[in-house]
Amino acid sequence: MTYYPLNDFGPVMKGMVIGGLGIFHVFLAQFAIGGGMLMCYLQWLAMRRPKVTSPAIDPHSQLFRAFLDSYFKTLVLISFVLGALTGVAMWFTTIQVSARTIGVMVDEFHWIWATEWTFFCLEIVSGYTFYRYGKGLTDRARMTLLVLYSIAAWFSLFWINGILSWQLTPALGQPGSLWANFFNPSFWPSLFFRTVVSMTIAALAGCVVVNTMSEIGREERTVLINRMAHFLGAMVVMPLLAWWYFSVIPADSRQWVMGGSIAMTLFFMVSAGASLLIGGYAVMALIKQRLYINGATATLLLALAFAATGGGEFVREGVRKPYTIRGALYSNSIVPDEVAHLRNVGLTTDDPYPLRDAQAYPNNQLRLGAMVFRDQCSVCHTMDGANALVHLAGSWTLDQKRLNFAKLQHLKTFMPPFVGNAHELEAVVQLVTWNADNRPTDWPDTSQTAPFTEIERYLEQAGTGSGLSTLPPHTNSADRLTRAATGPQ
Amino acid sequence: MFPLDQPLPTMFYLTLYVVTLVVHVLFMNYVLAGSAYVAWVSVFRGTDGQRPTAPAARVLRDWMPAALSAAITAGVAPLLFLQILYKKDFYTANLLLFHRWMAILPVLIVGFYLTYFLKSKRITHRHGLVRAAIGVGAFACFAFVAYSWTENHLLSQRSQVFKTAFYATSSIIYTDPRLLPRLGIWFFGAFPTMVWMLGWQLRYQRNTGQPVPGSEFKRLAVTGVVGLAMAGLCACGYLWAGPADEVGGSVIFGQSALVWTVSSLMGGLVLLIGLVWLAICPDQPTRSLALATVGSVVAILGATCVREVVRLNRVDLEPLYTQHAAAMKVGGLWVFLLFFAVNGVLIAWCFALARRKMGPLNA
Ligand code: HEC
Ligand code: HEM
Repeated sequence: MTYYPLNDFGPVMKGMVIGGLGIFHVFLAQFAIGGGMLMCYLQWLAMRRPKVTSPAIDPHSQLFRAFLDSYFKTLVLISFVLGALTGVAMWFTTIQVSARTIGVMVDEFHWIWATEWTFFCLEIVSGYTFYRYGKGLTDRARMTLLVLYSIAAWFSLFWINGILSWQLTPALGQPGSLWANFFNPSFWPSLFFRTVVSMTIAALAGCVVVNTMSEIGREERTVLINRMAHFLGAMVVMPLLAWWYFSVIPADSRQWVMGGSIAMTLFFMVSAGASLLIGGYAVMALIKQRLYINGATATLLLALAFAATGGGEFVREGVRKPYTIRGALYSNSIVPDEVAHLRNVGLTTDDPYPLRDAQAYPNNQLRLGAMVFRDQCSVCHTMDGANALVHLAGSWTLDQKRLNFAKLQHLKTFMPPFVGNAHELEAVVQLVTWNADNRPTDWPDTSQTAPFTEIERYLEQAGTGSGLSTLPPHTNSADRLTRAATGPQ
Repeated sequence: MFPLDQPLPTMFYLTLYVVTLVVHVLFMNYVLAGSAYVAWVSVFRGTDGQRPTAPAARVLRDWMPAALSAAITAGVAPLLFLQILYKKDFYTANLLLFHRWMAILPVLIVGFYLTYFLKSKRITHRHGLVRAAIGVGAFACFAFVAYSWTENHLLSQRSQVFKTAFYATSSIIYTDPRLLPRLGIWFFGAFPTMVWMLGWQLRYQRNTGQPVPGSEFKRLAVTGVVGLAMAGLCACGYLWAGPADEVGGSVIFGQSALVWTVSSLMGGLVLLIGLVWLAICPDQPTRSLALATVGSVVAILGATCVREVVRLNRVDLEPLYTQHAAAMKVGGLWVFLLFFAVNGVLIAWCFALARRKMGPLNA
């Protein structure tokens, strides 16, 4: 077991931090991807001749160009800066929340990341070139740059999508080939889904930008908006792609979204509801040919898209529970194969990092409990903030707590099994009880008196495996990951 | 000799780490020293920036956002290899510094936008005070980021005992007598690099018909020489401040590092000659710039290798050898190499498009 100096995130759960940042990052990145496609489309419109027989180019040609330059500026200022840096921030945040997870992912996929990086470089260079010189270039050169930009942006999605989808559906059943893992079961649905989302976001952002362009009139705005609506049309395949996605993810994850976990279901509903509203508007726009969307409405629609992305990201982060890498690493950075060993020696025995607020606890048992809580519960729970143990279990009797904490993985299958020995379990039980009692200065130490044989029996009965029934069979590749995670790091 | 004294997989990742870090350092130097230069100009020579006689500051302002993008993008690559190589030490330092470490990201975002502000027309016409504030603000952001990387780097190499004690204090600020001199090396050392990069840009401008007086080259060359001298002083300070057993001469002039130490010193010397030459003959900058460029790259490469040998001396990599070997087996390298080549060509194509159509790179 590798121990890291864990920090207290206050009243928020660590998972929320990743999710919260993820929303911004994903939204911006998808804006960049869809934006590239949209600009290619507009550049093509600006260049084409509507009728093969007539030599005249599209009468709106200049309008498309002007919009493109305006839009690209927005894209660069927002997406290049914030998109790139929130990307680095995602990485750093993942280190904060689970250094072990990122460690395994880097070991496993560094060449994929390195490949993605080459596309990112191309994206930056082609983007900046267009930004700086686009106005003075020929149509052909502009198109070339935009196509390169779009390809690069989309491919960075392609590569990173393999890694992210792998976390939920690693191909552990197959011998440890990188490509089996990369093109894992949820790779394609998730890639296509994100592509459509990208197109949606870009089109909605386009509608906002159109409304900020003071130099063009309503007539011209309508022309542009109707073109943008074509991009929204892609949304019709979204339900199908979502269905495909949910049909390949593990059954237990699916159940949580479909009512098994209130929070997950709620986030899913937000996401689906917001998408439905946008989709409805888009269809109307497409049918009612000359529909006009004003600035306020466009912004509202974009905000809805943000909510949809938000819900989606929380679901994506949430349905992986109790794992960060399914079957290979629990959310609290403990490797499944270590559980049995840690049940014997204790979870905190070898942890070099002391409690930071040791004097806040009246006795050593509570201090032990606080360490156990820090090391294995604090990724998903706080003591009395979000998803607080005091609120969830504060009112339970001591015996209920002992029994249920020992069987965490069966209590809610999205929790890992309890890791640690009976004394550690009793310590957490006491800690929760003490907190529920408003942290009195005097508290009895039960480390001699608690019914440890009972607790040991509960732990025995719970077993050391995951509570999920649909885990992939354990194979070479899972073993390799286990070794990667447990080796000297 | 580093990195040949390591097993193949470890050597492989060390090499990639060093090479990519050198690229990061080059761009980072342009940003760090460049933003310092712009800040200086905006504070002390208020309106100078707009006169055609001050092309250096203008070009710096103009290219700062792009250079920052490049510095950040180039930073991602060594970040990847660093994690494969050292894992726990890097992560532990990150976690110990917590908010203090994470702060570099919002600060970079602020710095990024300030660089855009600096070049926007609205700002150039603003009051000198506003411009000075933005110039200094941008520089402060990048200086903070540099400080943080140095802090993290030094902390990551402390012993487990120290890290445990540090954790117990709940502090998120690491102090070390070596920190400032080390930062000084990076900061002052950034000037000569910025000078030759900017020198090439100015030379290009001059060749495409824009007025760039010789005095501007001269001023830059002198700036570079002063930077180099100060970096040397800081290096002495660093050796003096550090506990002897950690970075004593035995490591720097030891078997593993000797060649690199010597290369670094020789590179520095060549760089110095190039800069002095540029200061003396600012009207024919080509050869002196070429000399400074070669010297600078050699010096940075050498110094980066020495830096790594020093770390290897403190951190025991041996337990990680098997993991480096396992990492090397995961596959995907060929795909990377393929796209590295393909995207390299496409990037070159972008540059070609820009050059062909625009003539002067800076119109
Ligand atoms: C992988 C994340 C995760 C970890 C690790 C985790 N939990 Fe939970 N736990 C949850 C979630 C999610 C819930 C559901 C909350 C809800 O229903 O609102 C939950 C619910 C609970 C409940 C209430 C269950 C019920 O039936 O009402 C208890 C008690 C609990 N956890 C205790 C613990 C303890 C003690 C630990 C550490 C030893 C722990 N959990 C570790 C995610 C986790
Ligand atoms: C303007 C912004 C930046 C500046 C001024 C800067 C400066 C520095 C400095 C001074 C160092 C050397 C630290 C030392 O050895 O003491 C360094 C190292 C490094 N930087 Fe940057 N940096 C910047 C942005 C970034 C970004 C955004 C990343 C990553 C995405 C990055 C990745 C790295 C890496 C991986 C190292 C090596 C660290 C180590 O080996 O411990 N840098 N940087």
